[in-house]
Amino acid sequence: MTTTLTPAEPVKVPSRRSADLLDGVRRWAGALVGAVVIFSALLLVKGADPIAALGDMVASIFTSASIEQIAIKATPLILAAMAVVLPARTGLANVGGEGQVIIGAVCAAGVGLAFDSMGPVALVAMLVAGAAGGALWAGIAAAMRLTVGVNEAVTTLLLNYVALDVMLYLIYEPWKDPNGSGQPATRPLAVAARLPLIGTTAVHMGLVIALVAAVLVWLVLRGTAFGFRLGVTGGNPEAARRAGLPVKRLLLTAMLLGGALAGLAGVMQLAGVEFKLRPGLTANIGYIAFLAAWLARHKPLPAVGGAVLLAVISIGGDSLQLDSGLPAATVNVLMGLVLLAVLGWASKGTGKRTDALR
Amino acid sequence: MLFVDVLAGGVRGGTAIMFGALGETVSERAGVVNLGTEGCMLIGALGGYATAAETGSPWLGLLAGAVVGGLLALVHALLVIWRRADQFATGLTLMFLGLGLTSLYGATYVGKAAPGFAPVNVPLLADIPVIGEVLFRHDPVTYLSFVAAPALWWWLRNTKGGLLLRTAGERADVLHVHGYRPGLIRGRAVVAGGALAGIGGAQLSTAYAHAWFEGMTAGRGFIAVALVIFAAWRPIWVMAGSYLFGAALALAPALQARGYALNQFALDALPFVITLVILAVLGKRTLRAAPEELRRVFESAPSK
Repeated sequence: MTTTLTPAEPVKVPSRRSADLLDGVRRWAGALVGAVVIFSALLLVKGADPIAALGDMVASIFTSASIEQIAIKATPLILAAMAVVLPARTGLANVGGEGQVIIGAVCAAGVGLAFDSMGPVALVAMLVAGAAGGALWAGIAAAMRLTVGVNEAVTTLLLNYVALDVMLYLIYEPWKDPNGSGQPATRPLAVAARLPLIGTTAVHMGLVIALVAAVLVWLVLRGTAFGFRLGVTGGNPEAARRAGLPVKRLLLTAMLLGGALAGLAGVMQLAGVEFKLRPGLTANIGYIAFLAAWLARHKPLPAVGGAVLLAVISIGGDSLQLDSGLPAATVNVLMGLVLLAVLGWASKGTGKRTDALR
Repeated sequence: MLFVDVLAGGVRGGTAIMFGALGETVSERAGVVNLGTEGCMLIGALGGYATAAETGSPWLGLLAGAVVGGLLALVHALLVIWRRADQFATGLTLMFLGLGLTSLYGATYVGKAAPGFAPVNVPLLADIPVIGEVLFRHDPVTYLSFVAAPALWWWLRNTKGGLLLRTAGERADVLHVHGYRPGLIRGRAVVAGGALAGIGGAQLSTAYAHAWFEGMTAGRGFIAVALVIFAAWRPIWVMAGSYLFGAALALAPALQARGYALNQFALDALPFVITLVILAVLGKRTLRAAPEELRRVFESAPSK
């Protein structure tokens, strides 16, 4: 069976590019329409009016407040999507974004709660601690893959649950805010240690950090020797080994960098949105970002687009809950369907069929 | 007795994981990883509970759990075999879809009562000290699982169907040479695996928890996937491993009932930590036992 964790796209002849692009757009549009049709059918079964629900959803997206919300939602998704893109270049499936985001937020909260009286210095320390925490968490899975050969998709998934329990323990016991009411949480971070806002908008500076990170990932993969080596390793590890590349070190580095990016996503959520550690802080960021990276077939800049698209869907999904009275997780159905449609019908990888599989 | 409580709880709580893991075994022996097992279990849990609530029959619920679990797995089969989509990405998406679908359709069943499976004491056997309490005072689905694992072992080993399935996982091209269609064999295996996972989910809601709530499988499907690896794809080891996890799950309430103040979150994380530790210890040894086609998926090596 193939796993289509493809490395760099093969070089295309320029004259075919526009035809390819058109073809791609057509396939994508078809996949999205298919997903929406199936989603409507599911809503009908539930007894909801799909046209009204989707209409409200679309209308709710195009208000200025929603656009700010989408930017805020997309910020950690972009970073966590890069955490999938980078390891994928070497053929590794990092499904542990969720856990790495959580541990990133936890490490940042640890530093922040101790030093937030120091203002921006603490913010910088939180960014560093969050990235380090995420890298460490991804490093466990990477180490298991490299030493005992256990598949990282399985270990990262399991680590997600462990990370959640670590966070819940801290929130419910040692870090619990004694003055808080209702749901347990840590005390809020001092205002000076939060991410500043961009101009007069409600959007925090994390968006800039996320976009810069995405461009850096793109540049590294596209234009550096390191990026090239990652691609060679992902394309054919055996060939890479024979060519004298340090395959293990490359795999480890890609995974650690990925974990660091996911950890940063956790810091964004903590220092830019929630300001305190609470259950449900990550809101499936890791999983949604995994889907976003897949939507873009692991290409960094399109993955930003994938993250924004899923951010749009999830903000639109709030309207499903408020206007149509459907459960909040309904939006997961739409996201899942979009991804399945793209995985199944927008892929190019089906041209060459292996006879053995027929 | 703590020991007996934990063991009996292990059998009770391990049953759902066992069905999930047996389903994953079927799928993986044919060469397909299904991370969507979590989703199949979840959708099976709702399908089983809802059907039991509507029809009044937990047995129909169990059947419905198998059907919806199998249907979700059919999506996986179509995408990874026919459209050659990535197995990990598709499986995880199915998990996501399962979460969403059960949330959409499950809201009306939260807190609603439904007839479920009650424990049935096996005559005579239930009176044996210790063994009786551990093995023979359970719900009928648990007794079904006592048969399911050995039956699967026997089927894989001794029947033509089992041989074809194993060959699809080891050397698919051989099947092709002999005029079989490996894709079809794999597809059937994936759907059957999903149905088994759905039964596991239905057991969880109608016999174990006697309730439906959102996300109730809580990672059991992923534990099942990991368990299959360290059980080296052997049904009998899967059975033993499932009880180990059931016991890890049963430890917390058993200790708390005796007044031990233990960290709830450490206990919640325990099954996942145990899985990781066992994978780290046994990983290399068991991976050598992996079906050949499956190993290619795990090592994400380019297929031939």
